[in-house]
Amino acid sequence: MSPFESLREALRLLRAQPLRSLLTLFGLVWGTAAVIFLLSWGVGLRTMLDTAFQRAGKNLVQTWAGKISEDFSPAVDRRFLWYTQADVEALRERAPELDRVAGETRRHAPAAFRGRALSLEVRGVEPEGEAIRDIPLASGRLITHEDMAQSRRVLVVGHRARERLLGAEGRVGSWVRIDGASFQVVGVLERVGTQLSRDGAEIDDQLWVPLSVHVALWPNPWLPVEMLSSILARAKDRDRIDAAEGEMRRVLADRLGVAADDEEAVPIFSPVKMLRRIPIDQQNGLNLLIALTTLLVGGIGILAMMLDSVQERRAEIGVRLALGARQRDVLLQFLWEGVAIVVLGGALGVALGAGGALFLGSDAFRSGIPAPLRDLVPVPELSAAVVLLAVVAMAVVALTAGVVPAWHAARIDPAETLRVE
Amino acid sequence: MSAVAIRLADVHKTYAIGENEVHALRGLDLEIGRGEYVSVMGPSGSGKSTLLEILGCLSQPSAGRYWLNGVAVDEVDADGLAKLRGEAIGFVFQAFNLLPRMTLLENVALPLLYRGVPRAARHERALASLARVSLEHRAAHRPGEVSGGERQRAAIARALVNRPSLLLADEPTGNLDSAHGREILGLLEGIHADGATVVIVTHDPIIGARTRRHIGIRDGAIESDERSAA
Repeated sequence: MSPFESLREALRLLRAQPLRSLLTLFGLVWGTAAVIFLLSWGVGLRTMLDTAFQRAGKNLVQTWAGKISEDFSPAVDRRFLWYTQADVEALRERAPELDRVAGETRRHAPAAFRGRALSLEVRGVEPEGEAIRDIPLASGRLITHEDMAQSRRVLVVGHRARERLLGAEGRVGSWVRIDGASFQVVGVLERVGTQLSRDGAEIDDQLWVPLSVHVALWPNPWLPVEMLSSILARAKDRDRIDAAEGEMRRVLADRLGVAADDEEAVPIFSPVKMLRRIPIDQQNGLNLLIALTTLLVGGIGILAMMLDSVQERRAEIGVRLALGARQRDVLLQFLWEGVAIVVLGGALGVALGAGGALFLGSDAFRSGIPAPLRDLVPVPELSAAVVLLAVVAMAVVALTAGVVPAWHAARIDPAETLRVE
Repeated sequence: MSAVAIRLADVHKTYAIGENEVHALRGLDLEIGRGEYVSVMGPSGSGKSTLLEILGCLSQPSAGRYWLNGVAVDEVDADGLAKLRGEAIGFVFQAFNLLPRMTLLENVALPLLYRGVPRAARHERALASLARVSLEHRAAHRPGEVSGGERQRAAIARALVNRPSLLLADEPTGNLDSAHGREILGLLEGIHADGATVVIVTHDPIIGARTRRHIGIRDGAIESDERSAA
């Protein structure tokens, strides 16, 4: 009997008991779908977290001046520290692990446009800082070195700040009053979306002005220097974030005159390191384990059904043997039945899993998620590798479950099954 | 080919049932010539079904030898036995043993399937075989949809489809009323008339009386062996 004949025979038998076949298939279908869905969900989750953590700047390392920690100095002598533009320059010269370095100042200030007034976070930025943030423009331009040098009162507006403050009629060229001073809007930023790591307000809610203007207009009342709120930098290499941090701390500690390992004096934050602390690989591993277990349970279902089917069909097997079937023919018949189930269950499972993954990524589904959450719901990332893994895992499980009953079937003694007592 | 279809020499068959050994056949010697029409009779437990299983190559003797058409069956491997069962032997069972999920045509075509006959030829030969038992109009029906007599006729058509030289029937009329039983016996006689060796196992003396040779079995050994004139 050719494999083709065996397969046709197997399909006919599957059709003969559709309900049982369907129930048996369910475990396999669900397991396969679970592997595909959970794996693509996991990859999507990683991407979502990575994106959401790095929206405020890729490979960002950022520091705020702190105070000398108790370990390094008696309590009475704990100084508050601050950074100035000179520290930024020092980092640019002495920290080769850092790609770009920029100072930033910030304050909350009332902003007004045509009778609308809001309190918004106003940041003094320089072009290097804009490059680190790397937010695309919706219209206009960013703040330039000329703006800095000439202390131009120009303004770049975040996406939501534009909606709330400027409304429909405001655009590039409009004038906005911030804390009494007039600024002309030169650029509007694209929407950034939900930031899982941020310093203060989200970028969408910020107003950006030249750093030089910011420090001149709003000096620190207690200090005789032009103090920065923070220093941000981009590490050259994501995998060398620790080296970049160490370098930053060394240079700044040296300039501040504090111990080089005083993490309280020079606190450094980087989203990449924070991301690393989320056990996403472990979570994905657990998901995979759960999915594979589901598949295994599906396989056990098939094993049970096929063994049952062999028992139920002992007489049939005896008849077939009496009519000239070789053991091999009987073995193949049951194996092919297993294969038919695998192919059918696999196809349905892949369709269900991939369909689910694609649906969660579709506009139809995503437009139904409330806007603030949308950035935090992963788009499952379906890949050929994920589908292949699921198909291979399913085939291994199901074929293992098919071989045992087939072997049982082939060893049936025809004389015994045909005896009528 | 040898003129002797079946030769058994000192055949024993023992089964282990739990702790006990059951001696189903105890040193049986038998020769059946080509084209003979034989009935094997005996009470329940006499070993006649076991004899039929051995004749049909469904089980092997525990001791002794069996030659089918001159071939020593104990020297044939498992695949060879399957080939013998499929091509040299036709079986007719008391319980018909048609596969319930297949049509009569598909049932009849099964031995051809295992013989590797192409689909179209299978169809044609199975239909011809069904015609021989006047069942071609039932070809597309399943066994559950036809009468007992028709089922047994279909089973005979299946046994004949490979034109076997030996037809073995185990109580072929046991599940049928007498009218259908006579019909089946008529078919078996026709097969004998066409030259095949026919062996019927039964405990029905009416059937036994219609064959040319009557073998009586008791306690696993031949008790009587008589021939009647044609």
